[in-house]
Amino acid sequence: MSSLARVSASLARREFTRFIRQPQRVVGTVAQPLLFWLFLGFGFGGSFRPAGMENVTYLEYFFPGVMLMMMLFASIFSSITIIEDRDAGFLQGVLVAPVSRLAIVLGKVLGATSIAMVQTLIFTVAAPFLGLHLGFGSLVMVLGGFVLTGIGFSALGFLLAWGMKSTSAFHAVMMVFLMPLWMLSGALFPIGNVPAAMKVVMLANPVSHALIIIRAPFYAGPAVLLADNAYLLSLAVTVAWAVGCLGLSMARVNRRDKGVEAA
Amino acid sequence: MIAIEHLTHVYPAGRKTPARTAIADLSMRVEKGEFAILSGPNGSGKSTLFRILCGLALPSAGKVGIAGFDLLTQPAKVREVMGVVFQSPAVDKHLSVAENLAIHGDLYGLSGAEFRKRRDESLGWTDLGDRLDQKVDTLSGGLARQVELAKVLMTDPQVLLLDEPTTGLDPVSRRNFLDALHRLQKARGMTVLMTSHVFAEADDVDRVAIMREGRLLAHDTPAALKAMIGTEMVVIQARDTEALAVRLRDEMGLAVRCVGDELRLEETENGKSLPLLEKILDRCRTDLRSISIKQPGLDDVFVHVTSRAGDIGRTGA
Repeated sequence: MSSLARVSASLARREFTRFIRQPQRVVGTVAQPLLFWLFLGFGFGGSFRPAGMENVTYLEYFFPGVMLMMMLFASIFSSITIIEDRDAGFLQGVLVAPVSRLAIVLGKVLGATSIAMVQTLIFTVAAPFLGLHLGFGSLVMVLGGFVLTGIGFSALGFLLAWGMKSTSAFHAVMMVFLMPLWMLSGALFPIGNVPAAMKVVMLANPVSHALIIIRAPFYAGPAVLLADNAYLLSLAVTVAWAVGCLGLSMARVNRRDKGVEAA
Repeated sequence: MIAIEHLTHVYPAGRKTPARTAIADLSMRVEKGEFAILSGPNGSGKSTLFRILCGLALPSAGKVGIAGFDLLTQPAKVREVMGVVFQSPAVDKHLSVAENLAIHGDLYGLSGAEFRKRRDESLGWTDLGDRLDQKVDTLSGGLARQVELAKVLMTDPQVLLLDEPTTGLDPVSRRNFLDALHRLQKARGMTVLMTSHVFAEADDVDRVAIMREGRLLAHDTPAALKAMIGTEMVVIQARDTEALAVRLRDEMGLAVRCVGDELRLEETENGKSLPLLEKILDRCRTDLRSISIKQPGLDDVFVHVTSRAGDIGRTGA
Protein backbone atom coordinates (compact mmCIF):
# COMPACT_ATOMS: atom_id res chain seq x y z
CA MET A 1 0.00 0.00 0.00
CA SER A 2 1.36 3.33 -1.09
CA SER A 3 1.98 5.92 1.59
CA LEU A 4 -0.86 8.16 2.70
CA ALA A 5 1.11 11.38 2.26
CA ARG A 6 2.32 10.54 -1.22
CA VAL A 7 -1.09 9.54 -2.55
CA SER A 8 -2.82 12.54 -0.97
CA ALA A 9 -0.19 14.91 -2.37
CA SER A 10 -0.46 13.36 -5.81
CA LEU A 11 -4.25 13.69 -5.87
CA ALA A 12 -4.14 17.23 -4.44
CA ARG A 13 -1.59 18.27 -7.06
CA ARG A 14 -3.94 17.01 -9.74
CA GLU A 15 -6.74 19.27 -8.45
CA PHE A 16 -4.42 22.24 -8.41
CA THR A 17 -3.02 21.58 -11.88
CA ARG A 18 -6.53 21.38 -13.29
CA PHE A 19 -7.36 24.69 -11.64
CA ILE A 20 -4.43 26.69 -13.00
CA ARG A 21 -4.87 25.20 -16.49
CA GLN A 22 -8.28 26.89 -16.74
CA PRO A 23 -7.52 30.63 -16.83
CA GLN A 24 -11.24 31.49 -16.96
CA ARG A 25 -11.75 29.63 -13.71
CA VAL A 26 -8.83 31.41 -12.04
CA VAL A 27 -10.09 34.80 -13.19
CA GLY A 28 -13.70 33.97 -12.36
CA THR A 29 -13.05 32.72 -8.86
CA VAL A 30 -11.01 35.81 -7.95
CA ALA A 31 -13.07 38.38 -9.85
CA GLN A 32 -16.48 37.26 -8.60
CA PRO A 33 -15.81 37.70 -4.86
CA LEU A 34 -13.95 40.93 -5.66
CA LEU A 35 -17.01 42.32 -7.42
CA PHE A 36 -19.25 41.14 -4.58
CA TRP A 37 -16.99 42.83 -2.11
CA LEU A 38 -16.79 46.13 -3.98
CA PHE A 39 -20.49 46.32 -4.90
CA LEU A 40 -21.82 45.36 -1.47
CA GLY A 41 -19.02 47.22 0.28
CA PHE A 42 -19.79 50.55 -1.39
CA GLY A 43 -23.53 49.88 -1.65
CA PHE A 44 -24.11 49.25 2.05
CA GLY A 45 -21.29 51.54 3.16
CA GLY A 46 -23.58 54.53 3.75
CA SER A 47 -26.11 52.67 5.90
CA PHE A 48 -23.79 50.39 7.88
CA ARG A 49 -23.69 51.81 11.42
CA PRO A 50 -23.86 48.93 13.93
CA ALA A 51 -23.48 49.86 17.58
CA GLY A 52 -19.87 49.65 18.74
CA MET A 53 -18.45 49.56 15.19
CA GLU A 54 -18.69 53.24 14.27
CA ASN A 55 -15.15 53.28 12.92
CA VAL A 56 -15.51 50.23 10.69
CA THR A 57 -16.54 50.73 7.05
CA TYR A 58 -18.66 48.04 5.44
CA LEU A 59 -15.82 47.33 2.99
CA GLU A 60 -13.66 46.50 5.96
CA TYR A 61 -16.37 44.59 7.81
CA PHE A 62 -17.17 42.43 4.79
CA PHE A 63 -13.47 41.75 3.96
CA PRO A 64 -13.04 38.49 5.98
CA GLY A 65 -16.53 37.42 4.89
CA VAL A 66 -15.47 37.56 1.23
CA MET A 67 -12.48 35.38 2.03
CA LEU A 68 -14.82 32.89 3.60
CA MET A 69 -16.92 33.03 0.45
CA MET A 70 -13.86 32.12 -1.64
CA MET A 71 -13.29 29.10 0.59
CA LEU A 72 -16.92 28.10 0.17
CA PHE A 73 -16.84 28.43 -3.61
CA ALA A 74 -13.57 26.52 -3.96
CA SER A 75 -15.12 23.71 -1.94
CA ILE A 76 -18.30 23.71 -4.04
CA PHE A 77 -16.31 23.54 -7.28
CA SER A 78 -14.28 20.58 -6.13
CA SER A 79 -17.31 18.79 -4.69
CA ILE A 80 -19.13 19.02 -8.00
CA THR A 81 -16.23 17.27 -9.74
CA ILE A 82 -16.62 14.41 -7.26
CA ILE A 83 -20.09 13.72 -8.60
CA GLU A 84 -18.87 13.82 -12.21
CA ASP A 85 -15.73 11.77 -11.52
CA ARG A 86 -17.02 9.06 -9.27
CA ASP A 87 -19.24 6.98 -11.53
CA ALA A 88 -17.83 7.86 -14.92
CA GLY A 89 -14.39 9.34 -14.61
CA PHE A 90 -11.04 9.64 -12.96
CA LEU A 91 -12.15 8.67 -9.44
CA GLN A 92 -13.22 5.19 -10.56
CA GLY A 93 -9.57 4.32 -11.08
CA VAL A 94 -8.58 5.76 -7.71
CA LEU A 95 -11.27 3.78 -5.90
CA VAL A 96 -10.01 0.44 -7.21
CA ALA A 97 -6.37 1.32 -6.45
CA PRO A 98 -4.72 -0.02 -3.28
CA VAL A 99 -4.83 3.31 -1.47
CA SER A 100 -6.14 4.30 1.94
CA ARG A 101 -9.64 5.70 1.72
CA LEU A 102 -8.46 8.62 3.83
CA ALA A 103 -5.96 9.51 1.10
CA ILE A 104 -8.84 9.83 -1.37
CA VAL A 105 -10.59 12.30 0.95
CA LEU A 106 -7.41 14.18 1.83
CA GLY A 107 -6.34 14.49 -1.81
CA LYS A 108 -9.60 16.14 -2.72
CA VAL A 109 -9.81 18.30 0.39
CA LEU A 110 -6.19 19.49 0.32
CA GLY A 111 -6.46 20.22 -3.39
CA ALA A 112 -9.52 22.40 -2.86
CA THR A 113 -7.92 24.04 0.16
CA SER A 114 -4.76 24.95 -1.72
CA ILE A 115 -6.83 26.49 -4.49
CA ALA A 116 -8.78 28.53 -1.94
CA MET A 117 -5.51 29.58 -0.28
CA VAL A 118 -4.14 31.04 -3.50
CA GLN A 119 -7.30 33.06 -4.02
CA THR A 120 -7.52 34.38 -0.50
CA LEU A 121 -3.81 35.21 -0.40
CA ILE A 122 -4.21 37.33 -3.54
CA PHE A 123 -7.07 39.02 -1.74
CA THR A 124 -5.07 39.62 1.42
CA VAL A 125 -3.08 42.18 -0.57
CA ALA A 126 -6.07 44.53 -0.17
CA ALA A 127 -5.73 44.59 3.63
CA PRO A 128 -3.29 47.53 3.91
CA PHE A 129 -5.59 49.66 1.76
CA LEU A 130 -8.28 49.18 4.39
CA GLY A 131 -5.93 50.34 7.09
CA LEU A 132 -5.42 46.79 8.37
CA HIS A 133 -1.81 45.96 9.11
CA LEU A 134 -0.76 42.39 9.69
CA GLY A 135 2.33 41.61 11.72
CA PHE A 136 4.18 38.38 11.03
CA GLY A 137 2.52 36.54 13.92
CA SER A 138 -0.93 37.67 12.82
CA LEU A 139 -0.23 36.69 9.22
CA VAL A 140 0.65 33.17 10.37
CA MET A 141 -2.58 33.03 12.36
CA VAL A 142 -4.62 34.22 9.37
CA LEU A 143 -3.00 31.57 7.20
CA GLY A 144 -3.74 28.93 9.82
CA GLY A 145 -7.34 30.11 9.81
CA PHE A 146 -7.46 29.80 6.00
CA VAL A 147 -6.14 26.24 6.12
CA LEU A 148 -8.56 25.10 8.82
CA THR A 149 -11.56 26.75 7.23
CA GLY A 150 -10.61 25.51 3.78
CA ILE A 151 -10.42 21.94 5.10
CA GLY A 152 -13.70 22.34 6.98
CA PHE A 153 -15.60 23.57 3.92
CA SER A 154 -14.01 21.11 1.47
CA ALA A 155 -14.61 18.12 3.74
CA LEU A 156 -18.21 19.21 4.28
CA GLY A 157 -18.68 19.56 0.50
CA PHE A 158 -17.10 16.12 0.00
CA LEU A 159 -19.42 14.54 2.53
CA LEU A 160 -22.50 16.07 0.90
CA ALA A 161 -21.43 15.32 -2.67
CA TRP A 162 -20.27 11.73 -2.26
CA GLY A 163 -23.64 10.00 -2.27
CA MET A 164 -25.22 12.23 -4.90
CA LYS A 165 -26.12 11.06 -8.37
CA SER A 166 -26.40 14.41 -10.14
CA THR A 167 -24.82 17.83 -9.97
CA SER A 168 -28.23 19.51 -10.08
CA ALA A 169 -29.10 17.94 -6.72
CA PHE A 170 -25.88 19.38 -5.38
CA HIS A 171 -26.86 22.85 -6.59
CA ALA A 172 -29.99 22.61 -4.45
CA VAL A 173 -27.93 21.65 -1.40
CA MET A 174 -25.61 24.52 -2.12
CA MET A 175 -28.43 27.07 -2.23
CA VAL A 176 -30.43 25.89 0.78
CA PHE A 177 -27.61 24.66 3.03
CA LEU A 178 -24.09 25.83 2.16
CA MET A 179 -24.90 29.43 1.20
CA PRO A 180 -27.07 29.96 4.31
CA LEU A 181 -24.24 28.63 6.48
CA TRP A 182 -22.13 31.40 5.05
CA MET A 183 -24.83 34.07 5.25
CA LEU A 184 -25.51 33.25 8.89
CA SER A 185 -21.86 33.33 9.90
CA GLY A 186 -21.56 37.07 10.46
CA ALA A 187 -19.90 37.43 7.05
CA LEU A 188 -22.55 39.87 5.82
CA PHE A 189 -23.82 41.41 9.07
CA PRO A 190 -22.84 41.27 12.74
CA ILE A 191 -24.41 38.67 15.00
CA GLY A 192 -25.45 41.32 17.55
CA ASN A 193 -28.39 42.91 15.73
CA VAL A 194 -30.61 39.98 14.74
CA PRO A 195 -33.75 38.30 16.20
CA ALA A 196 -33.01 35.95 19.09
CA ALA A 197 -33.84 32.71 17.21
CA MET A 198 -31.52 33.62 14.35
CA LYS A 199 -28.84 34.55 16.82
CA VAL A 200 -28.96 31.05 18.30
CA VAL A 201 -28.52 29.55 14.84
CA MET A 202 -25.65 31.90 14.07
CA LEU A 203 -23.83 31.09 17.29
CA ALA A 204 -24.24 27.35 16.72
CA ASN A 205 -22.98 27.65 13.13
CA PRO A 206 -19.36 26.44 12.91
CA VAL A 207 -18.78 28.83 10.02
CA SER A 208 -19.35 31.76 12.42
CA HIS A 209 -16.42 30.49 14.44
CA ALA A 210 -14.28 30.07 11.34
CA LEU A 211 -15.02 33.70 10.53
CA ILE A 212 -13.91 34.77 14.00
CA ILE A 213 -10.53 33.05 13.71
CA ILE A 214 -9.97 34.64 10.29
CA ARG A 215 -11.14 38.13 11.33
CA ALA A 216 -9.52 38.37 14.75
CA PRO A 217 -5.81 38.38 13.69
CA PHE A 218 -6.43 41.51 11.61
CA TYR A 219 -7.22 43.38 14.84
CA ALA A 220 -5.06 41.75 17.54
CA GLY A 221 -1.68 40.07 17.85
CA PRO A 222 -1.09 36.40 18.69
CA ALA A 223 -0.31 37.10 22.35
CA VAL A 224 -3.68 38.73 22.93
CA LEU A 225 -5.67 36.18 20.94
CA LEU A 226 -4.13 33.07 22.47
CA ALA A 227 -5.11 34.41 25.89
CA ASP A 228 -8.67 35.15 24.78
CA ASN A 229 -11.19 32.42 25.67
CA ALA A 230 -13.68 33.46 23.00
CA TYR A 231 -10.98 33.09 20.31
CA LEU A 232 -9.84 29.74 21.69
CA LEU A 233 -13.42 28.47 21.72
CA SER A 234 -13.84 29.45 18.07
CA LEU A 235 -10.54 27.79 17.22
CA ALA A 236 -11.68 24.59 18.95
CA VAL A 237 -15.05 24.61 17.13
CA THR A 238 -13.36 25.12 13.76
CA VAL A 239 -10.87 22.30 14.38
CA ALA A 240 -13.70 20.00 15.49
CA TRP A 241 -15.69 20.90 12.36
CA ALA A 242 -12.75 20.18 10.03
CA VAL A 243 -11.71 16.93 11.73
CA GLY A 244 -15.30 15.72 12.11
CA CYS A 245 -16.12 16.24 8.43
CA LEU A 246 -12.87 14.53 7.38
CA GLY A 247 -13.68 11.52 9.55
CA LEU A 248 -17.26 11.27 8.31
CA SER A 249 -16.11 11.59 4.70
CA MET A 250 -13.64 8.79 5.14
CA ALA A 251 -16.27 6.54 6.68
CA ARG A 252 -18.57 7.37 3.77
CA VAL A 253 -15.96 6.44 1.13
CA ASN A 254 -15.17 3.26 3.01
CA ARG A 255 -18.76 2.11 2.93
CA ARG A 256 -19.56 -0.02 -0.11
CA ASP A 257 -23.15 -0.05 -1.35
CA LYS A 258 -24.53 -3.29 -0.01
CA GLY A 259 -27.24 -5.43 -1.50
CA VAL A 260 -30.18 -6.18 0.75
CA GLU A 261 -31.31 -9.60 1.95
CA ALA A 262 -33.18 -11.58 -0.66
CA ALA A 263 -36.93 -11.51 -0.07
CA MET B 1 -8.16 -17.13 -9.99
CA ILE B 2 -11.62 -15.63 -9.85
CA ALA B 3 -14.05 -17.77 -7.90
CA ILE B 4 -17.64 -16.58 -7.59
CA GLU B 5 -19.79 -18.73 -5.32
CA HIS B 6 -23.55 -18.49 -4.92
CA LEU B 7 -23.52 -14.75 -5.45
CA THR B 8 -26.79 -12.89 -4.99
CA HIS B 9 -27.34 -9.16 -5.16
CA VAL B 10 -30.65 -7.48 -4.44
CA TYR B 11 -31.04 -3.72 -4.82
CA PRO B 12 -33.06 -2.16 -2.01
CA ALA B 13 -36.61 -1.07 -2.76
CA GLY B 14 -37.10 2.60 -3.55
CA ARG B 15 -40.20 4.62 -2.76
CA LYS B 16 -41.84 3.63 -6.02
CA THR B 17 -39.81 0.61 -7.08
CA PRO B 18 -39.82 -2.82 -5.46
CA ALA B 19 -36.53 -4.48 -4.47
CA ARG B 20 -34.84 -5.84 -7.57
CA THR B 21 -32.72 -8.96 -7.83
CA ALA B 22 -29.80 -8.21 -10.15
CA ILE B 23 -27.82 -11.39 -9.51
CA ALA B 24 -29.41 -14.64 -8.43
CA ASP B 25 -27.27 -17.42 -6.96
CA LEU B 26 -24.54 -17.14 -9.57
CA SER B 27 -21.46 -19.36 -9.39
CA MET B 28 -18.62 -19.17 -11.87
CA ARG B 29 -14.85 -19.66 -12.02
CA VAL B 30 -12.19 -18.12 -14.19
CA GLU B 31 -8.99 -20.14 -14.01
CA LYS B 32 -5.51 -18.70 -13.80
CA GLY B 33 -4.25 -17.42 -17.15
CA GLU B 34 -7.67 -17.72 -18.77
CA PHE B 35 -9.25 -15.09 -21.00
CA ALA B 36 -12.99 -15.05 -20.36
CA ILE B 37 -15.75 -12.94 -21.83
CA LEU B 38 -18.91 -12.19 -19.92
CA SER B 39 -21.93 -11.30 -21.96
CA GLY B 40 -25.64 -10.86 -21.63
CA PRO B 41 -28.48 -8.59 -22.71
CA ASN B 42 -28.90 -5.16 -21.15
CA GLY B 43 -30.17 -5.51 -17.60
CA SER B 44 -28.79 -9.03 -17.21
CA GLY B 45 -26.76 -8.11 -14.12
CA LYS B 46 -23.37 -7.79 -15.84
CA SER B 47 -22.73 -4.29 -14.56
CA THR B 48 -23.71 -5.22 -11.02
CA LEU B 49 -21.41 -8.23 -11.14
CA PHE B 50 -18.63 -6.01 -12.46
CA ARG B 51 -19.10 -3.50 -9.65
CA ILE B 52 -18.92 -6.28 -7.08
CA LEU B 53 -15.79 -7.77 -8.67
CA CYS B 54 -14.12 -4.33 -8.61
CA GLY B 55 -14.87 -4.14 -4.90
CA LEU B 56 -17.20 -1.15 -5.31
CA ALA B 57 -20.34 -2.90 -4.07
CA LEU B 58 -21.05 -5.62 -1.52
CA PRO B 59 -23.38 -8.45 -2.52
CA SER B 60 -26.43 -9.55 -0.52
CA ALA B 61 -25.03 -13.06 -0.21
CA GLY B 62 -22.31 -15.30 -1.55
CA LYS B 63 -18.53 -15.22 -1.81
CA VAL B 64 -15.98 -13.89 -4.24
CA GLY B 65 -12.35 -14.95 -4.15
CA ILE B 66 -9.76 -13.21 -6.31
CA ALA B 67 -6.13 -14.38 -6.43
CA GLY B 68 -6.73 -16.33 -3.24
CA PHE B 69 -8.10 -13.39 -1.25
CA ASP B 70 -11.65 -12.91 -0.08
CA LEU B 71 -12.83 -9.80 -1.91
CA LEU B 72 -15.54 -9.07 0.62
CA THR B 73 -13.31 -9.00 3.69
CA GLN B 74 -9.87 -8.20 2.21
CA PRO B 75 -10.54 -5.68 -0.55
CA ALA B 76 -7.18 -3.95 0.00
CA LYS B 77 -5.27 -7.18 -0.75
CA VAL B 78 -7.25 -7.74 -3.94
CA ARG B 79 -6.73 -4.16 -5.14
CA GLU B 80 -2.97 -4.69 -5.14
CA VAL B 81 -3.10 -7.51 -7.69
CA MET B 82 -6.02 -6.34 -9.81
CA GLY B 83 -6.31 -3.92 -12.72
CA VAL B 84 -9.61 -2.47 -13.90
CA VAL B 85 -10.55 -0.83 -17.19
CA PHE B 86 -13.94 0.87 -16.90
CA GLN B 87 -16.38 1.50 -19.68
CA SER B 88 -16.19 5.27 -19.22
CA PRO B 89 -12.62 6.55 -19.19
CA ALA B 90 -10.99 6.69 -15.77
CA VAL B 91 -8.29 9.13 -16.79
CA ASP B 92 -8.17 12.88 -16.25
CA LYS B 93 -8.80 14.39 -19.67
CA HIS B 94 -7.34 17.74 -18.64
CA LEU B 95 -3.98 16.21 -17.82
CA SER B 96 -1.34 14.90 -20.23
CA VAL B 97 -0.69 11.22 -20.86
CA ALA B 98 2.52 11.42 -18.81
CA GLU B 99 0.76 13.14 -15.90
CA ASN B 100 -1.97 10.51 -15.83
CA LEU B 101 0.59 7.72 -15.76
CA ALA B 102 2.54 9.49 -13.01
CA ILE B 103 -0.55 9.74 -10.79
CA HIS B 104 -1.29 6.08 -11.40
CA GLY B 105 2.29 5.26 -10.39
CA ASP B 106 1.80 7.24 -7.18
CA LEU B 107 -1.40 5.34 -6.41
CA TYR B 108 0.41 2.01 -6.70
CA GLY B 109 3.59 3.10 -4.95
CA LEU B 110 5.79 3.03 -8.07
CA SER B 111 8.56 5.60 -8.17
CA GLY B 112 11.95 6.48 -9.61
CA ALA B 113 13.68 4.07 -11.95
CA GLU B 114 11.15 1.30 -11.29
CA PHE B 115 8.30 3.61 -12.33
CA ARG B 116 10.08 4.70 -15.52
CA LYS B 117 10.93 1.11 -16.45
CA ARG B 118 7.35 -0.11 -15.96
CA ARG B 119 5.95 2.93 -17.75
CA ASP B 120 8.19 2.51 -20.79
CA GLU B 121 7.42 -1.21 -20.88
CA SER B 122 3.70 -0.68 -20.82
CA LEU B 123 3.90 2.09 -23.42
CA GLY B 124 5.95 -0.19 -25.67
CA TRP B 125 3.01 -1.72 -27.51
CA THR B 126 1.05 1.55 -27.83
CA ASP B 127 1.19 4.33 -30.41
CA LEU B 128 1.59 6.91 -27.65
CA GLY B 129 5.39 7.21 -27.78
CA ASP B 130 5.52 10.79 -29.06
CA ARG B 131 2.32 11.94 -27.42
CA LEU B 132 3.23 11.77 -23.75
CA ASP B 133 2.87 15.52 -23.26
CA GLN B 134 -0.45 15.75 -25.06
CA LYS B 135 -3.60 16.18 -22.99
CA VAL B 136 -5.81 13.11 -23.07
CA ASP B 137 -8.82 15.02 -24.42
CA THR B 138 -6.87 15.87 -27.57
CA LEU B 139 -6.33 12.17 -28.37
CA SER B 140 -8.59 10.06 -30.58
CA GLY B 141 -10.88 7.54 -28.90
CA GLY B 142 -8.58 4.66 -29.80
CA LEU B 143 -5.48 6.34 -28.39
CA ALA B 144 -7.32 7.40 -25.22
CA ARG B 145 -8.20 3.73 -24.67
CA GLN B 146 -4.54 2.83 -25.12
CA VAL B 147 -3.69 5.25 -22.31
CA GLU B 148 -6.17 3.44 -20.12
CA LEU B 149 -4.74 0.02 -20.86
CA ALA B 150 -1.12 1.21 -20.57
CA LYS B 151 -1.97 2.74 -17.20
CA VAL B 152 -3.49 -0.45 -15.86
CA LEU B 153 -0.74 -2.72 -17.23
CA MET B 154 1.97 -0.58 -15.64
CA THR B 155 1.21 -2.16 -12.27
CA ASP B 156 1.51 -5.68 -13.71
CA PRO B 157 -1.85 -7.00 -12.45
CA GLN B 158 -2.48 -10.72 -12.05
CA VAL B 159 -6.15 -10.20 -12.72
CA LEU B 160 -7.51 -7.74 -15.27
CA LEU B 161 -11.18 -6.76 -15.41
CA LEU B 162 -12.51 -4.83 -18.39
CA ASP B 163 -16.02 -3.43 -18.78
CA GLU B 164 -16.94 -3.15 -22.48
CA PRO B 165 -13.58 -1.55 -23.20
CA THR B 166 -14.13 -1.22 -26.95
CA THR B 167 -17.39 0.73 -26.78
CA GLY B 168 -17.22 3.68 -29.15
CA LEU B 169 -14.12 2.53 -31.03
CA ASP B 170 -14.03 2.15 -34.80
CA PRO B 171 -13.46 -1.41 -36.08
CA VAL B 172 -9.74 -0.88 -36.72
CA SER B 173 -9.05 0.63 -33.30
CA ARG B 174 -11.11 -2.12 -31.71
CA ARG B 175 -9.13 -4.80 -33.50
CA ASN B 176 -5.83 -3.17 -32.47
CA PHE B 177 -6.93 -2.87 -28.87
CA LEU B 178 -8.00 -6.51 -28.69
CA ASP B 179 -4.90 -7.79 -30.49
CA ALA B 180 -2.71 -5.96 -27.98
CA LEU B 181 -4.81 -7.23 -25.11
CA HIS B 182 -4.57 -10.86 -26.28
CA ARG B 183 -0.83 -10.61 -26.86
CA LEU B 184 -0.16 -9.06 -23.46
CA GLN B 185 -2.47 -11.49 -21.71
CA LYS B 186 -0.53 -14.44 -23.14
CA ALA B 187 2.89 -12.90 -22.56
CA ARG B 188 2.15 -12.08 -18.94
CA GLY B 189 -0.11 -14.98 -18.09
CA MET B 190 -2.80 -12.61 -16.85
CA THR B 191 -6.28 -13.75 -15.96
CA VAL B 192 -8.70 -11.58 -17.90
CA LEU B 193 -12.44 -11.14 -17.49
CA MET B 194 -14.02 -8.80 -19.99
CA THR B 195 -17.67 -7.89 -20.46
CA SER B 196 -18.64 -7.43 -24.07
CA HIS B 197 -21.56 -7.33 -26.46
CA VAL B 198 -19.49 -7.68 -29.57
CA PHE B 199 -19.16 -11.33 -30.44
CA ALA B 200 -16.58 -10.78 -33.08
CA GLU B 201 -14.36 -10.22 -30.04
CA ALA B 202 -15.15 -13.57 -28.49
CA ASP B 203 -13.99 -16.09 -31.06
CA ASP B 204 -10.41 -16.36 -29.88
CA VAL B 205 -10.98 -16.28 -26.12
CA ASP B 206 -10.82 -19.28 -23.79
CA ARG B 207 -14.34 -19.15 -22.41
CA VAL B 208 -17.56 -17.25 -22.90
CA ALA B 209 -20.14 -16.82 -20.17
CA ILE B 210 -23.65 -15.64 -21.00
CA MET B 211 -25.99 -14.36 -18.33
CA ARG B 212 -29.61 -13.28 -18.28
CA GLU B 213 -31.71 -12.01 -15.38
CA GLY B 214 -28.86 -12.47 -12.96
CA ARG B 215 -28.26 -16.12 -13.80
CA LEU B 216 -25.51 -17.83 -15.73
CA LEU B 217 -27.09 -19.50 -18.78
CA ALA B 218 -23.98 -20.81 -20.46
CA HIS B 219 -20.29 -20.88 -19.73
CA ASP B 220 -18.05 -22.78 -22.11
CA THR B 221 -15.46 -22.55 -24.86
CA PRO B 222 -16.58 -20.72 -28.02
CA ALA B 223 -16.41 -23.99 -30.00
CA ALA B 224 -18.56 -25.89 -27.50
CA LEU B 225 -21.12 -23.08 -27.44
CA LYS B 226 -21.39 -23.05 -31.23
CA ALA B 227 -21.82 -26.82 -31.23
CA MET B 228 -24.83 -26.33 -28.94
CA ILE B 229 -26.95 -25.06 -31.83
CA GLY B 230 -25.97 -27.64 -34.42
CA THR B 231 -23.53 -27.11 -37.16
CA GLU B 232 -25.64 -25.19 -39.65
CA MET B 233 -28.93 -23.38 -39.75
CA VAL B 234 -31.50 -22.35 -42.29
CA VAL B 235 -32.60 -18.75 -41.95
CA ILE B 236 -35.85 -17.56 -43.46
CA GLN B 237 -37.38 -14.14 -43.87
CA ALA B 238 -41.08 -14.47 -44.52
CA ARG B 239 -43.83 -12.20 -45.79
CA ASP B 240 -45.92 -13.18 -42.76
CA THR B 241 -43.57 -14.57 -40.14
CA GLU B 242 -46.19 -15.88 -37.76
CA ALA B 243 -48.26 -17.66 -40.39
CA LEU B 244 -45.20 -19.30 -41.92
CA ALA B 245 -43.95 -20.41 -38.51
CA VAL B 246 -47.21 -22.18 -37.87
CA ARG B 247 -47.18 -23.76 -41.32
CA LEU B 248 -43.63 -25.04 -41.08
CA ARG B 249 -44.28 -26.53 -37.69
CA ASP B 250 -47.71 -28.03 -38.26
CA GLU B 251 -47.52 -29.08 -41.91
CA MET B 252 -43.87 -29.99 -42.20
CA GLY B 253 -43.11 -30.93 -38.59
CA LEU B 254 -40.07 -28.67 -38.40
CA ALA B 255 -38.59 -27.29 -35.15
CA VAL B 256 -38.70 -23.63 -36.01
CA ARG B 257 -37.62 -20.71 -33.86
CA CYS B 258 -38.60 -17.12 -34.31
CA VAL B 259 -35.82 -14.60 -33.75
CA GLY B 260 -36.85 -11.01 -34.43
CA ASP B 261 -38.37 -11.09 -37.93
CA GLU B 262 -36.43 -14.20 -38.89
CA LEU B 263 -37.34 -17.87 -38.68
CA ARG B 264 -34.55 -20.29 -37.91
CA LEU B 265 -34.16 -24.04 -38.23
CA GLU B 266 -31.19 -24.49 -36.01
CA GLU B 267 -30.33 -28.09 -35.34
CA THR B 268 -29.54 -29.14 -38.82
CA GLU B 269 -26.87 -31.75 -39.43
CA ASN B 270 -24.17 -31.02 -41.97
CA GLY B 271 -25.31 -31.70 -45.51
CA LYS B 272 -29.00 -31.79 -44.60
CA SER B 273 -29.49 -28.04 -44.88
CA LEU B 274 -29.62 -27.87 -48.63
CA PRO B 275 -32.30 -30.58 -49.10
CA LEU B 276 -34.29 -28.90 -46.32
CA LEU B 277 -34.00 -25.53 -48.03
CA GLU B 278 -35.19 -27.04 -51.30
CA LYS B 279 -38.10 -28.73 -49.60
CA ILE B 280 -39.24 -25.45 -48.05
CA LEU B 281 -38.80 -23.61 -51.34
CA ASP B 282 -40.95 -26.23 -53.02
CA ARG B 283 -43.82 -25.93 -50.59
CA CYS B 284 -43.80 -22.29 -49.49
CA ARG B 285 -42.02 -20.31 -52.20
CA THR B 286 -44.62 -17.56 -52.35
CA ASP B 287 -44.47 -16.93 -48.61
CA LEU B 288 -40.73 -16.31 -48.59
CA ARG B 289 -38.76 -13.12 -48.94
CA SER B 290 -35.40 -14.80 -48.55
CA ILE B 291 -33.94 -18.09 -47.42
CA SER B 292 -30.33 -18.95 -46.72
CA ILE B 293 -27.96 -21.38 -45.00
CA LYS B 294 -25.74 -20.01 -42.28
CA GLN B 295 -22.87 -21.26 -40.13
CA PRO B 296 -23.67 -20.35 -36.53
CA GLY B 297 -21.50 -17.70 -34.89
CA LEU B 298 -21.35 -16.71 -31.25
CA ASP B 299 -23.97 -14.04 -31.78
CA ASP B 300 -26.33 -16.84 -32.85
CA VAL B 301 -25.48 -18.70 -29.65
CA PHE B 302 -26.25 -15.54 -27.72
CA VAL B 303 -29.64 -15.18 -29.39
CA HIS B 304 -30.35 -18.88 -28.92
CA VAL B 305 -29.48 -18.86 -25.23
CA THR B 306 -31.02 -15.58 -24.19
CA SER B 307 -34.28 -15.47 -26.14
CA ARG B 308 -37.19 -15.84 -23.79
CA ALA B 309 -39.69 -18.61 -23.32
CA GLY B 310 -42.94 -17.83 -25.11
CA ASP B 311 -41.29 -16.58 -28.28
CA ILE B 312 -43.28 -17.62 -31.31
CA GLY B 313 -42.32 -21.02 -32.61
CA ARG B 314 -40.01 -21.71 -29.71
CA THR B 315 -39.21 -25.37 -29.54
CA GLY B 316 -37.78 -25.56 -26.10
CA ALA B 317 -34.46 -26.68 -27.54
